[in-house]
Amino acid sequence: MREITYLEAIREAMTQEMERDSRVFLIGEDIGEYGGAFQVTYGMLEKFGPERILDTPITELGLTGAATGAALIGMRPIAEIMFMDFTTLASEQLVNQAAKLRFMFGGQSTVPMVLRTAAGSGTGAAEHHSQSFENWFVHVPGLKVVMPTTPYDVKGLLVSAIRDDNPVVFIEHKLLYKTKGDVPEELYEIPLGKADVKREGKDLTIIATAIMVQRSLQAAEELEKEGIEVEVVDPRTLRPLDTETIVNSVKKTGKVLIVHEAVKTGGFGGELAGIIAESEAFGYLDAPILRLAGREVPIPYNRNLEYNSVPQVEDIVEKARELIKLRV
Amino acid sequence: MATEMIMPKVDMDQETGTVVEWIKGNGQQVEEGETILVIETDKIAIDVEAPGTGTLDGISANPGEVIPIGTVIAYILEEGEKLPDQPAKPIETAEEPSLPDPPAASGRIEVSATPVARKMAEAHGIDLSAVNASGTGGKVTKEDVQAVVSRAGKPVDPHDIYATPAARRTARLEGLNLGLIQGSGPGGRIQLADVKNYQTSKPQITKPAGPQTQAGESIPLIGMRRKIAKRLTESYQSIPHIQFTVRVDMSNFIKARNDYNELALTRGDEKVSVTAMLVKLVAMVLADHPWLNSSLSDDKIFFHEDINIGLAVALDEGLIVPVVKNADQKGISVIAVESNDLIKRARKKNLTSADVKGGTFTITNLGPFGVEQFNAIINPPEAGILAVGATIPEVVALPEGAIATRPMMRLTLSADHRIVDGAVAAGFIGDLKTTLENPNLMNY
Amino acid sequence: MKLTKERAEHYLLQMYQIRAFEEQAEKSYMAGKIHGTMHLSIGQEASAVGSISTLEPTDFIIGHHRGHGLCISKGADLNLMMAEFYGKENGYCRGRGGSMHIADVAGGNLGANGVVGGGIPLAVGVGIGLKMQGENRVLLAFFGDGAASTGAFHESMILAVLYQVPVVFICENNQYAMSFAANDWTTSKKIAAHGEIYGMPGSCSTDGNDLLEVQSAVEAAVKRAREGGGPSLIVNDTYRWRGHSKSDRNRYRTKEEIEEWKKKDPIVRFRKQCVSEKLLTEKEVEKIKEQGYADIESARIFAEASPEPDVATLEEGVYAP
Repeated sequence: MREITYLEAIREAMTQEMERDSRVFLIGEDIGEYGGAFQVTYGMLEKFGPERILDTPITELGLTGAATGAALIGMRPIAEIMFMDFTTLASEQLVNQAAKLRFMFGGQSTVPMVLRTAAGSGTGAAEHHSQSFENWFVHVPGLKVVMPTTPYDVKGLLVSAIRDDNPVVFIEHKLLYKTKGDVPEELYEIPLGKADVKREGKDLTIIATAIMVQRSLQAAEELEKEGIEVEVVDPRTLRPLDTETIVNSVKKTGKVLIVHEAVKTGGFGGELAGIIAESEAFGYLDAPILRLAGREVPIPYNRNLEYNSVPQVEDIVEKARELIKLRV
Repeated sequence: MATEMIMPKVDMDQETGTVVEWIKGNGQQVEEGETILVIETDKIAIDVEAPGTGTLDGISANPGEVIPIGTVIAYILEEGEKLPDQPAKPIETAEEPSLPDPPAASGRIEVSATPVARKMAEAHGIDLSAVNASGTGGKVTKEDVQAVVSRAGKPVDPHDIYATPAARRTARLEGLNLGLIQGSGPGGRIQLADVKNYQTSKPQITKPAGPQTQAGESIPLIGMRRKIAKRLTESYQSIPHIQFTVRVDMSNFIKARNDYNELALTRGDEKVSVTAMLVKLVAMVLADHPWLNSSLSDDKIFFHEDINIGLAVALDEGLIVPVVKNADQKGISVIAVESNDLIKRARKKNLTSADVKGGTFTITNLGPFGVEQFNAIINPPEAGILAVGATIPEVVALPEGAIATRPMMRLTLSADHRIVDGAVAAGFIGDLKTTLENPNLMNY
Repeated sequence: MKLTKERAEHYLLQMYQIRAFEEQAEKSYMAGKIHGTMHLSIGQEASAVGSISTLEPTDFIIGHHRGHGLCISKGADLNLMMAEFYGKENGYCRGRGGSMHIADVAGGNLGANGVVGGGIPLAVGVGIGLKMQGENRVLLAFFGDGAASTGAFHESMILAVLYQVPVVFICENNQYAMSFAANDWTTSKKIAAHGEIYGMPGSCSTDGNDLLEVQSAVEAAVKRAREGGGPSLIVNDTYRWRGHSKSDRNRYRTKEEIEEWKKKDPIVRFRKQCVSEKLLTEKEVEKIKEQGYADIESARIFAEASPEPDVATLEEGVYAP
């Protein structure tokens, strides 16, 4: 199988779906000639023309509403918000409109749209270009939230998201764009709401999202040398969540560490901890549920400060050791 | 100088004493010879006197605590004296070599513990490696073991225990008492591994003591119920019982007894009870069936030289079993006197520890209550127990084919199947039946 | 378009249905039968009927929270509308939307909105979709003077022109946002001028209480949109007789002002026009009025007899399967 980057996989998913379904179109800032802030849509304007690649001025709210409205009458738009930080500007249309129209109108309407956005820190972009708000949207009934980790996952999940008849918030991590992996050339779906056990182990479960999956896998390699077998679970879809896979893993190991980039307080980790504590897995816990997450701080500019603001591989290794050695 | 009061040794084989009640407390005046403490050993409660005159202080053993003999448990202070700073060492007594460490099982580490702690732990079947060591160099001390024992004695409220959900779940499913399990997690939290380790090192049953005799003092009887329950449970759970019942035609037995009593009357001797006769006859038969007069100990079967028959006596508080020693060698009249005396004193709670020690076989008779047949639980470390039912006139078929009414009694032997095979047990009970049906055969 | 007798009857009936619906809504509310609140459009009937009368049945509208009149103008089933108003299971939205969020998607009404300006960006998107679908359908997007100050409005104007969407944006300036007077920051003419500035030629303001004037302006805009001429902004200058919502104490305006505007009652004006042009007799007009009120009375009876939603179905309909 050939290897392509996470970014290329996204482009391929959209391109192939647009070829297959004429209702799919893109709308976003600088996605046309510029090719997208991260070059995800590079070449797509040439292929599909301005009728289907809608470049916009700075109008997050407007473009998100436009995508919603187009979906309302049967189109399948993919809107792009360049940085997740700017979903704040779009959220009226995303949260109040897209998420609710179907329910509010008693099922008369459908909103089959995807809102793609790039989240995460590590590029020195600082406070306004580095955030992760996945938990805000997990909190909204009517939305689906996806956070893919690998090139293989991102293509399959995006295809599913486009084909889903609901508004899907599709969160990509900036630092993952250049990562490579095996990706099938043909169109394929990875179902939403299905987690993936990226690594099996019996001593400890790590549940991680986005780039923390990669870092947890690296940490697992380290810990294997100490005889600690780590299981890494990637939920892939945060809403709806595959609780069964998570519960089974925790039952198996009795110890769980949750790792995400977003700020710890009020973060998705709390939701996961609550789900685990309420589930059958509770009776199998042999230690407290631990969360390792972003520090209580906007992402700072200074490189080292930025590095220390979110979990790194060594942090995951240390926390895992703490848990295994029952220092907590 | 402060006078030490130690946990006294009152029996040759005694290793610990349980504090039952302090008659006097810290700060009170006591006189030498005055009873200030009640302790319990095995089954008997014993008064302990003050070893000196002065102020009682520094009591370090509380009711319910099991203390190895020789341990200092209090001080008698003279005027102006203070308690010594350090706890005194236990007094070495003659036969106290350090017992070997508990055998290391499946990868457990050898545990460092004080001799006192070690003995306490063994007496209570506590795995030393599961005890939180607070002594210097990580030694398990007496206090550490006591803490576990005290916990074990109290009813366990799960809310008071710091344990993980996994530990609780496994303990619940396996029926284990979380209160007995020591936690190795932070803050003493009980982890799943602790529960699993506890499972594989379940406490051993207290080893049976060998036979012996010892002179003792007159003592009151208290606090038996728990002891009895414990012994019976252990017996029932660990000894595989086999039970054999025979119907005995008591006609000749009754006639013989009547003859004895006529003679006794003329001599002014004590009446011969059914019990006394049974004791003699059972003892005679036991002489021919040594397997029923043995004890299993450390994978060895010990055939007792003496035949000491225990008589189960029911009291309000529970059961006590005084023993008629060497019953095979005494005449029935002697046994009659002895057994009457024992039973009387038992009911008055006047038995000595010698009276209840050394039994090799037990007879329990519920006939007077009208019970026709019952199965008794063996009194460890004995090999068997005979349950005697009521004698009731019954219609029986005679060998010749005729029908008659005879006084019939059912005897049930419970035997320890580890020692006694079915055939052996059957042989004994068969002989016993024959003997009871023809008592004069015992002179053969 | 020419005002025929048929059309006159139809428009007048609709206006009386709107008036009757609003008055009944008020009555039901005051009788304690309605949960929440409502936003009455009494006085704005001409804007609604005049605008929507220009549409084909296959065209769309998207509305706002004061949109009962818009729903009725688009041909809503009065029973289902009233049932929705009452929060009943067989209302348009299964009782989940209520007064502020009534939609009749099958009938081309893409729904009202609880967020001021919430529907405007949606309108742009609908326009984009309609254009892509290439069926020459048009959308009327209604909002108020309150929405004209939002970022959503301005972003939407820009995008609408950029993509030349077949949308007629209709601002019903009833002089007040909630309590903030439109005249303190703008006028109907100025709002209409935005349309010009953003790039919508033919944007204009109208006397919103003159049904035929409204109709004329919107008709032109609809034609332009349908022929690929892009969006327009029409501002209907009108007035709401009642407060913003039921909790409004009308502290921000005077009784005199209200009375002044009542004299410009759009129904009265249209009646007069119909009679003076000999399209309808006074008697016929009265009959139409009776009919309108009778229709609402039936709807009321229907709604009050309708069942409540089953709590067991609470979480249904959040996601499409």
